[in-house]
Amino acid sequence: MPLPEPTASVPETGSKNLDRRSFLRSTAAFAGLTALATSLSPLRELGDYTSTEQFLQKYYKELTPQEMKQVLERITNEVEHQYGIRPHVRDLKPMDGVEFVYALNLTRCIGCRKCVHACVAENNQSRSPEIQYIRVLKMPHGSMDVEKGDHTYDDKEVPDKGFFYMPVQCQQCKNPPCVKVCPVNATWQEKDGITVIDYDWCIGCRYCEAACPYWARRFNFTKPEIPADRLNPEMAYLGNRPRKQGVMEKCHFCIQRTRVGKYPACLEVCPVGARKFGNILDPESEISYILRTKRIFIQLKEEMGTNPRFFYYFDK
Amino acid sequence: MITATRNYLVFLRRCANIAFVGDWRYYLWMGALTVVCLLGLNAYAKQLVHGLVVTGMSDEVSWGVYIANFTFLVGVAAAAVMMVIPVYIYDNEELHDLVIFGELLAVAAIIMCLAFVTVDLGRPDRFWHLIPGIGQMNFPRSMLSWDVLVLNGYLLLNVHICGYLLYCRYQKRKPARWFYIPFVFIAIVWAISIHTVTAFLYVGLGGRPFWNASIVGPRFLASAFTAGPALIILALQVVRRVTAGGSAKELATGTDASNRSGTSASLADFYQLSRELPEMAWVSIADRERALAGASVIDVAAGDILLRQGTTSHFAFFVLQGRVVVKKEEGGLFRITRTARPGDQFGEVSALHGTAREATAIAEEPSRILRLPDTSLKVLMETREMEQIVHARMTERLMITDRSLFILRSIVQVSMIINVFLLVCEVFKEFYSGTTHGASAKYLFLGLEGHHALVPWIWSAIGFNLIAMVILVLPLSKSLKYLNVACVLSIVGIWIEKGMGLVIPGFIPTPLGAVVDYLPSLNETLVCLGIWALGLLCYTIFLRMAVPILQGRLTKANEGRPEGRGDTAVPFPAAATTKP
Repeated sequence: MPLPEPTASVPETGSKNLDRRSFLRSTAAFAGLTALATSLSPLRELGDYTSTEQFLQKYYKELTPQEMKQVLERITNEVEHQYGIRPHVRDLKPMDGVEFVYALNLTRCIGCRKCVHACVAENNQSRSPEIQYIRVLKMPHGSMDVEKGDHTYDDKEVPDKGFFYMPVQCQQCKNPPCVKVCPVNATWQEKDGITVIDYDWCIGCRYCEAACPYWARRFNFTKPEIPADRLNPEMAYLGNRPRKQGVMEKCHFCIQRTRVGKYPACLEVCPVGARKFGNILDPESEISYILRTKRIFIQLKEEMGTNPRFFYYFDK
Repeated sequence: MITATRNYLVFLRRCANIAFVGDWRYYLWMGALTVVCLLGLNAYAKQLVHGLVVTGMSDEVSWGVYIANFTFLVGVAAAAVMMVIPVYIYDNEELHDLVIFGELLAVAAIIMCLAFVTVDLGRPDRFWHLIPGIGQMNFPRSMLSWDVLVLNGYLLLNVHICGYLLYCRYQKRKPARWFYIPFVFIAIVWAISIHTVTAFLYVGLGGRPFWNASIVGPRFLASAFTAGPALIILALQVVRRVTAGGSAKELATGTDASNRSGTSASLADFYQLSRELPEMAWVSIADRERALAGASVIDVAAGDILLRQGTTSHFAFFVLQGRVVVKKEEGGLFRITRTARPGDQFGEVSALHGTAREATAIAEEPSRILRLPDTSLKVLMETREMEQIVHARMTERLMITDRSLFILRSIVQVSMIINVFLLVCEVFKEFYSGTTHGASAKYLFLGLEGHHALVPWIWSAIGFNLIAMVILVLPLSKSLKYLNVACVLSIVGIWIEKGMGLVIPGFIPTPLGAVVDYLPSLNETLVCLGIWALGLLCYTIFLRMAVPILQGRLTKANEGRPEGRGDTAVPFPAAATTKP
């Protein structure tokens, strides 16, 4: 009969049977736990993934000055522990009456990529894998279509005839798509126009990276590596302090420099003076003068409605 | 209150116990899934240690198969609603029994979705930043925060609906409509919303012209309503196969008791029935006396057949003592559709409607049965309480008819036609206008600057979809064999088209015009397989619990008996019991 056995005919479970069953059961449970432990064994190398303090750290905007001090102390100790150098980490606030704007002279830029390397050094970017905030495009004369740009040009000498060079970095948009999409408010626009990231709050979903029309954001796909002797010890919380694995980063107009009145590193290193930076709210500033007098300046992908604070212009 | 809690805990414990009961094929299947799960877990542990560098993703292509699978599975979850709509809005009886399978599939799919987004996070330890109240949820600005809300909401809704309906069935209690119907309707709207919100994740990004198209939302729904019901068609056939117990031939060996005359019933028998079926107490003595005409009591031995599928007679039955199992033949195999215990009815549907018997009823142990002609049953049903309980119990069965599969076929059919049409619209727009915004589509369909990684995939997907559409439109697919082929092709085709074909090319070329290929790494693939195995494991466990409840095998009435033996026996897969 195909029917399930009636209750009555179920054989009584003898003690022998029970022993065998409980033996099988405990063997199975033991094998299962062993397999589970084995599959999780790589976690032993997890190391300093996160400390309790860091795990429980509050959102940047909710930290009291006292708590901020403790956080900065923790970061200082962590950096010292890792690199053997005691850094100077500050939480620099935006200055009143300041809105930063960048302008780049495409006539002058020769594509030497000095800005790229100065940026890496200044901002403690990972050397392996390489993370760079600035991408220089080698473009054929006559077109602003980035799809015609060469990202990996390797010429012995620059500039190459028939080409111009267009460095692209975070455009510090007035209407930033990356800020809008972040599910946890880990990135926001500061009063001085700089879009910053709280590296201790970012969950690493990379939605902002997908949203950015300028490909300006970089993700730490693994633990960043910086040689200890190359570490820049002058650090800001929202700026160039070393990042952790699994978080986003990007150009922040060298917050650790510009908020104390210095120029960004990319500007200082530029051998041809193609880069200009300043306070747009100050009518006397050089940047205000340039934007007032140049007949043509370009916001990259203006049609996106992002309204960048980064302008490209030409001499003639 | 304490009793209610205790009952519920017992129910949960019994459900959990039964997940560990099955024959060697069940253990083999679950064991294999567990192994794949653990392989995936191991790969994920490596990813946690070394970071997402172990995947094929890069700053150029920053989302990969994790998000592709996530997108596909949100569609599967949303599609469960395509079974709910015909049932609750158009009162379709055929699909009624099957809604629960769709909803359980939705729960398993959402679990997979949540797993896929979690493994995609760079800092899963900071997930709590997303929780409103203690974290910082960027709501309503970020579409991702919407997605977190709607997905978890959908999970809760479906867990509530399935859990409540199954618990009521377990308790043999009529579900309170107010406690689940409103949620059913919310879930219908919610299902559309989860997939729309997921589409908006992409549509909202102005910097990615391939995604920034209003057609993405409708395409998502059309492809979901194709792949989801297609998956349910296949899943239901698997359920039907593994819950079938024995071939038709073997069933024929039982002694036929359908014509046994028995003894005339008396008021004492009605009294005995009212002890098991409290609603009977409402029937007046006068009505009971009227109903005695033609009623008889028969005693049967285990294995006796009380009625046969396909025959006609005007008798309905109530069990006074013992247990009767109702089995239906579908595709040459019999499956338990209902278990009748004291107070329960069987054979009432064909008696009332005058139709052929839909199933065969066999006594599972020595039983005493009250046999009523349709006239007597109608007399009893003149009392409102009796009428309600008899009607409510009519739907307490597990049936997976071919007809219900073909209702789903018509959904897949129409959705596939719409899906292919929307694809054509999209291809036309991208290629005819010839703007530079078509670069991603060019990369996808034709290859760009010597990079062709997705070209063979998308053309296979389109091929699969077109073949599936042709099969679905032709009468050919009225045969289950061809319908299954069409379903498999649609699922694979849509998985490629919607996952790899939508997520990856959105990143290529990058907004700065770089063309970088993406290929999932081995570690990434293992994590994906692990999550799929987890989903299948969950769905199997859900079915393992739900099927015996729907069949009346796992019920409050047999509380305290050892799981998987005697009257709780639900061999899984059931075909194993056919061996002599």
